Amino acid sequence: MIVCSRCSKDNQDHYKFCLGCGAELPRLSANAHPISTDTPPGGSSATGRATNASQAQAAQAEASEPELDWDRSPEEARSDSLPAELASLSDQTSPCPHCGAGVPENFRYCHVCGHDLHEHAVGAAAADAPAERVSAPAVAEALQPATVRARLVLIQPDGSEGETFPLSAGPTLIGRSSGGIFANDAYLSPEHAEFRFEDGQLVVKDMESLNGVYIRIEPDVPIELFDGSVFRVGQELLRFDGPRAPEPAPDGTQHMGSPHRGYLGRISLLVGRQTTGNSYPIPPHGIHIGRERGDVVFPEDGYVSGLHCRVHSEVGHVFLTDVGSSNGTFVRVSLESYVPAGTYVLMGQQLFRAEY
Amino acid sequence: MEQARNYVCTECASAVPSGHKFCGACGAGVPHEAQTLETRFFGALQMPGKARLIVVRGDEAMGEGLSYLLQATEHIAGREADQIPFPSDTWLSPRHANFLYRGAKLVVRDEGSLNGVYIRVRGTAPIQIGDQFMCGQQLFRVDATPKDSSGPEADQTYFYSSPKRPSAFRITQVLEGGMDGIVCCAHEQTVQIGREECDINFPDDVYLSPRHARVEMSGESLELIDEGSQNGTYVRIRGERELSHGDYVFLGQNLLRVEVTA
Repeated sequence: MIVCSRCSKDNQDHYKFCLGCGAELPRLSANAHPISTDTPPGGSSATGRATNASQAQAAQAEASEPELDWDRSPEEARSDSLPAELASLSDQTSPCPHCGAGVPENFRYCHVCGHDLHEHAVGAAAADAPAERVSAPAVAEALQPATVRARLVLIQPDGSEGETFPLSAGPTLIGRSSGGIFANDAYLSPEHAEFRFEDGQLVVKDMESLNGVYIRIEPDVPIELFDGSVFRVGQELLRFDGPRAPEPAPDGTQHMGSPHRGYLGRISLLVGRQTTGNSYPIPPHGIHIGRERGDVVFPEDGYVSGLHCRVHSEVGHVFLTDVGSSNGTFVRVSLESYVPAGTYVLMGQQLFRAEY
Repeated sequence: MEQARNYVCTECASAVPSGHKFCGACGAGVPHEAQTLETRFFGALQMPGKARLIVVRGDEAMGEGLSYLLQATEHIAGREADQIPFPSDTWLSPRHANFLYRGAKLVVRDEGSLNGVYIRVRGTAPIQIGDQFMCGQQLFRVDATPKDSSGPEADQTYFYSSPKRPSAFRITQVLEGGMDGIVCCAHEQTVQIGREECDINFPDDVYLSPRHARVEMSGESLELIDEGSQNGTYVRIRGERELSHGDYVFLGQNLLRVEVTA
């Protein structure tokens, strides 16, 4: 326990900043808790450590920036939280080369599958004329077996890089049964996820694992939420459910209730396999989520930023946008997803960065 | 000069005391109308022991301020009822509630309606898991905390969940159309509802008081407590409930006040 010298609040040993007033806490105690992968599973604390890694990193980054995110005024945060892509949303769409969904012209990523459209556009332009000649050696290279194409770098609680795990061009299965850095993580399924390359991009597939694979979303880039989408903010696991209503009675009687203000759906806190805790409907203008600011707050979760992310509606779809949180917002991969280079991937209680 | 104090026989002009059927002097009959003279009420509303319902907040078609005198023994209210009709309120079942006399007592009975009958809580009322109640424009249900299922899977993988906080019960908001809205797990032993500074807040609901009501676990049982709100807190009745003067009853969107003549 560290007692804050400014406001006297008790903080857990691994906190970098005071939960009460945001003052920086003495650094000595920050390294008091080295990671131990064989800790018995304790739910919150174990996984808290995993997210802590990126917090530590962000904390280091913030140390060089005088402006902490909770010092910003709500107006500032709100005005810059609207992504530029959506400010001038056009009706013009073009089909996503990966999934075929109609994507507004000014989106950088497909809002349905997350495919990087910018990269594709650049690649397409370059490969325009001499397509045959350029692609031939590239294919030959990709076919070379046992070539390490990428690596997963373990991010430790203090933000430093730990062990790395090599990924070859072909499919690589990881899980508790693959040993090494995955062996002692009780939150990993024996066969948890599979990594492979597709058109030069790393792809991760969730092998129907219990706890799933989470990908950190880029700040200010909206990611579409679907009925049942799960995302993680700090230590909190949230599920989005689309609007669902029971049928009216056969005699024409409607179900009575509180005024329905055109809610887009609900977000619920997951507290068990099938059980949810608190839950909030999302009004048409959306909601902000944070530790101190926003419509839904988690004052007890030190891994949630003052203002963390928002859930909002654009062009009839519901999106999740990280508004510059320190620890990031992680979205659970449904089936599979691209993993752009440098992306943080959360599996079990460990955080990795994909490098290639 | 004085006026005759009783009926005067039309045959012999003798005075006939009240209650007599024939004239004592000449034997002529007294007309039936003269025999059965009884004081009448100006209006039936004055009849003792009878109740009436005043529509405080009403159905669009029927309006406010209407009153229904409960003169029969049973009075059906509903969307297609003859006695107390609310034809445009789709929250009412065709046959929704029955206001009936049981001896000298007035009782309201839920006729198996979809949305139920709500009665205003006077101070504190016992409440159970599964019960529903209303504050302002909001409808709530009291739910139990689901059982924890946090053991490992067969393959020894543990489920990751958000940090758990113990909770005695939870309050779920029910939205029109029947889906669930806000769910609030009791932090300690209480969930407070109001317009601001509560566990569940509705800043837009002008019919709520700032601190309107709370549900509290006291010992093993739950209580619904109205915190002196302006518009009251209403609990859904199970089966039937005795009514007394000054009670308020919600049927769908209609608020009725019960008046019982002493």
